[in-house]
Amino acid sequence: MIAQTTVSLAPHKDPFVIDLATVALHDLTDVAHTVRYATVLTEDGFEVDGVPAYEEDRLSSMASSIQALSEAVARELVIGRAHYVIIAADDAHVIQLRVPGQQLVLAAVFEVEETLGNALAACKYAAERFATALNAR
Amino acid sequence: MTPDSGIAVGTRPTVQAPAPELAGWAGAATAVHAIQQMPMPMTLRLHVADHGVAHIDFAYNAFEWEHPLDAFPVTPASVLVETCTAEPDAPAFELPGRTLDPLLWSIGFHAFGDEPAPWLVEGHRYHLRRWPSLSGIEIDLDQVRMIAMLGNAFATADELAAAAHTPPSDARRLVNALSVAGMLRRSTAAPALDAAPASAHSVAPSTGLFARLRERWGH
Amino acid sequence: MEHIILFAGPMGAGKTTAIQSLSDIPVISTEAANTDRATADKATTTVALDYGEIHVSDEERIRMYGIPGQRRFDFMWRILRDRAEGMVLLIHNDGPDPVDAMREFMIEFADLCERGGVAVGITRMDVAPGPILTHYTDVLERDRPDLMVPVMPVDPRDRGNMEMLMMCLIANIEMRAAYSAVPA
Repeated sequence: MIAQTTVSLAPHKDPFVIDLATVALHDLTDVAHTVRYATVLTEDGFEVDGVPAYEEDRLSSMASSIQALSEAVARELVIGRAHYVIIAADDAHVIQLRVPGQQLVLAAVFEVEETLGNALAACKYAAERFATALNAR
Repeated sequence: MTPDSGIAVGTRPTVQAPAPELAGWAGAATAVHAIQQMPMPMTLRLHVADHGVAHIDFAYNAFEWEHPLDAFPVTPASVLVETCTAEPDAPAFELPGRTLDPLLWSIGFHAFGDEPAPWLVEGHRYHLRRWPSLSGIEIDLDQVRMIAMLGNAFATADELAAAAHTPPSDARRLVNALSVAGMLRRSTAAPALDAAPASAHSVAPSTGLFARLRERWGH
Repeated sequence: MEHIILFAGPMGAGKTTAIQSLSDIPVISTEAANTDRATADKATTTVALDYGEIHVSDEERIRMYGIPGQRRFDFMWRILRDRAEGMVLLIHNDGPDPVDAMREFMIEFADLCERGGVAVGITRMDVAPGPILTHYTDVLERDRPDLMVPVMPVDPRDRGNMEMLMMCLIANIEMRAAYSAVPA
């Protein structure tokens, strides 16, 4: 069951959620120095926060679509819940996963020299701490 | 190419409104056609025997009538026609009313039997100005195909019938309906519709996706 | 044999519902919680695509793709429009500026409209006062006199309405391909 992060405010407009997202992103960059860019987004594609500050939020929109498509694939193939998505490209890797129990997604772009295992572990660490902080509200 | 008009732009209208009572829908259709040629906005009240009054406001492309169109009276005992000059910025009834296309289509379809409307000139070819709104009236898919043909080519009613493989009377009624609904433009210079165009395979009634989907959906 | 038809239009126009009305398979959807209630007061919104199928026969089907209506997902529009042969454009009549929305989508998908075809369904015309049908058809006639675009009120929940809109689209695509040369 996906929990609402706020009763009345959309997450990307809720100062409480935004502050915790900022903390989560710094958690990520503290453990993984190869993060080129990271964002927390609502599942319908609005950026909650991003590091470093970014002029466009295209990643949020695209990550929203990718998240929904990956979950649709898992659902249609009846293979359980989708855990994360990896896009491995020539010059960087993108990893994204849902913040546990939330209508939020964490997406990060890592330098290509980072191992996928380390990158994924860092994202999971940040996402789980974020979820714990949200649930403590 | 000249617009389908009985008058020259800028002159006083020379088309007279018909006598108030003519047989069935013919009078109403003729009145509608006459009004469409007039530069001033008009409204029309059609007193349909045993079926109340249909009130048309052309400026708003709307009508009101308590009678449903899916039970359109094909051969009413009489249709009295009453024309009125419209008041500026004052709809004749509470808007939005009902979309006018289906009513005018129905009138035109039933007004003249299997014969062409009297203002349609033999040899003139017609093309849709725009697609008619088809919701709320009974329309079959042969008619949809003919409408699509007229949307993409000029044709006389007989050429349309030949290309669509339908009886000429069906095509004439369709052209009448579209003409009364004000949706046709005409040409005296357009070439004859090719009944067997380059991609004839796709438009023959028994082939093409349209035909196969029609069969699949049981229409 | 496969055909691809795109369902486009602003958020809240009824694209997902329309595909559900027509599809012979359970629709694959990518719905997410809608945090933009000001734009459309509904719980969820499509963020990638909807997918449904019409099984014309064992060997032929129509693939229906519904795109997200918000412009921030326009990268999905570009992905899907190049594969399509026609488009159903749904516009909700009680939107903030529905005629303008129709114009924007016609411009965005101009190539698809020209090489294939488009049919416009106006939803929610009976819900509240808004533009009348001729507002839409007059704009189309003025902006694109070269295109014949079926425009009609539809209820996306009504299979009959959507079948008629689809048949009009396909008839128009076929006739446009057959009779593409029209004298001025």
